[in-house]
Amino acid sequence: MSHSFRFLDDIATADLAFDASGDSLQELFHGATCAVIEAMADPSTVGSTWRKSVERTEEDPAELLFDWLSDLVYWKDADGVVFSTFKLTITCGDDGSWHLKGELCGESVNGLVQVLRNDVKGITKHMYQVRQEGMRWNARVVVDV
Amino acid sequence: MKLHTEMRVNRITDEVWEIPISEKSGMLVPARIYATPTILQSMDAGVFEQVTNVACLPGIRRYALCMPDGHWGYGFPIGGVAAFDIPTGIISPGGVGYDVNCGMRLMRTNLTQKDVQPLLERLMTELFRRVPAGVGASGSVRLDRSSFEDVMVRGARWCIENGYGWPQDLEAMEERGCIAVADPSKVSDQAISRGINQLGTLGSGNHYLEVQVVSTDRVFDQETASAWGITGHDQIVVMVHCGSRGFGHQVASDYLKVFEKAMRRYGISVKDQQLACAPFTSVEGQDYFSAMNCAANTAFANRQVITHQIREAFAAVFGRPAEELGMELVYDVAHNIAKVERYPEGDLVVHRKGSTRALGPGSPELPPRYRTTGQPVICGGSMETGSYLLAGTQGAMRDTFASTMHGSGRTMSRAQAKKTIRGEQVQKQMKQRGILVKAVSMSGLAEEAGFAYKDISEVVETVDRAGITKKVAELRPIGNIKG
Repeated sequence: MSHSFRFLDDIATADLAFDASGDSLQELFHGATCAVIEAMADPSTVGSTWRKSVERTEEDPAELLFDWLSDLVYWKDADGVVFSTFKLTITCGDDGSWHLKGELCGESVNGLVQVLRNDVKGITKHMYQVRQEGMRWNARVVVDV
Repeated sequence: MKLHTEMRVNRITDEVWEIPISEKSGMLVPARIYATPTILQSMDAGVFEQVTNVACLPGIRRYALCMPDGHWGYGFPIGGVAAFDIPTGIISPGGVGYDVNCGMRLMRTNLTQKDVQPLLERLMTELFRRVPAGVGASGSVRLDRSSFEDVMVRGARWCIENGYGWPQDLEAMEERGCIAVADPSKVSDQAISRGINQLGTLGSGNHYLEVQVVSTDRVFDQETASAWGITGHDQIVVMVHCGSRGFGHQVASDYLKVFEKAMRRYGISVKDQQLACAPFTSVEGQDYFSAMNCAANTAFANRQVITHQIREAFAAVFGRPAEELGMELVYDVAHNIAKVERYPEGDLVVHRKGSTRALGPGSPELPPRYRTTGQPVICGGSMETGSYLLAGTQGAMRDTFASTMHGSGRTMSRAQAKKTIRGEQVQKQMKQRGILVKAVSMSGLAEEAGFAYKDISEVVETVDRAGITKKVAELRPIGNIKG
């Protein structure tokens, strides 16, 4: 099992774009979540005094990833936090829908101790795609900053 | 001429280029790009693709336009302008941008560089302390939901009524800082949660607060500059670039989802998912218009609270009230917005995304103080190269739905800029050039390095020669705050 992400140089001139991939849909979600968290702040400099549980169900895994990544942006603004770690599991129900159960950890923004990066404003549908290629799940995401 | 498109691009004048409707299936009007040959050649493929996609949207009138600072955006290109019929046309969040009413504000002072230079470090520290910037920053204004809804409806007026500014500030704002059709019941709880603590915050990315100098030799139109309180003689002015923050973004995201479903119902198909739209007169279209205006009003209020904090900072550092320092607004313009405006065709829904309204002299919509000069247009350059103050013209009202450029426009991606230089290097180099920079994020600072942007002077020359705005003054930075 492995996941990865890389920010792209030549896409989204004014914003940030990344490719994420994983050996499973869950691993893909891990990679994409790491990318968004890293875009906001260096997670190694962020504590874990704030926690939030999130559950979501969608028929389309692409919509599930979009909504989950948008949740990160929402909590960043609503609670004024950046993130350090997370856990998530993805399961497929009998009806074919995908269920996400996640937990986000982080702490209130504090530029004195955290290495802050971009104030991510949203996840966009521009060039957005989630697809399974062979045994690998891949996603391309453009983030508005 | 080698362009980043296979489409035919015809020269209309040295600054205006047209892609005819034969170049893409579904185009209802031609696309027009304002650019010099050099700028046109540097424009990315996204500009040509996106401006012709916009030309396919229902109800579009005359042309789909792109200004010389244009580049790839979400759905519409940045620098895009399009006007739609009210009965048959659409409204699209992609034509407004996620940061609803992102805009520019310019404030004059009676101070000169000689007055400010010895205290510049202290001034920038004070501004950095009073104007929160960067990831997750909260503003100093504490609001409950009811008060925030008042802000959505009353915009900058709310600020004046609550002590964050001077009554005359309102005359120096597009729409006097308050757009009428704003209904908070059309805004989601999520948007409110994201925005309620952000009033008076700068944000990050390309948003900034800048202390600038106007040299006499860089004033191009003395009469107009003088009418706006711009005197030259190394006068200090302050520029602010920011918008509606996470609140506006959530409004846009919410309605993109609504419109994706609505388009199927109304039988509208678009060339790009980010062009999701609805008929302007539909329930969905009107709901978005009301919610977007809430975000627009919040952005006016955001810049007004920041203005208040800037005045407080100057007063603290120079030991005199802001009134004595002559800190009057020159103007405040929106460059991400959709508005109903009157043209010879009738009332149209004009979308400006990375484009500024540029009403010319005589426009009845302008307050008397701007009616002989035309509307001030504020264009932000990179933090290294400076910015411009322009004036609206009759030419813009005739040719571009009273619209012009908004800034310099990026040429290099953020990721590439960060690989090229470190934020600490940018800060050091700028200090050597006499520009003091304070930034929350060093990586964010690297992304905003001057070389990542077009040369604003060439962009400004284009709109000046095209007659859609005229140059008034160049503004040179000496202090910059970034998120």
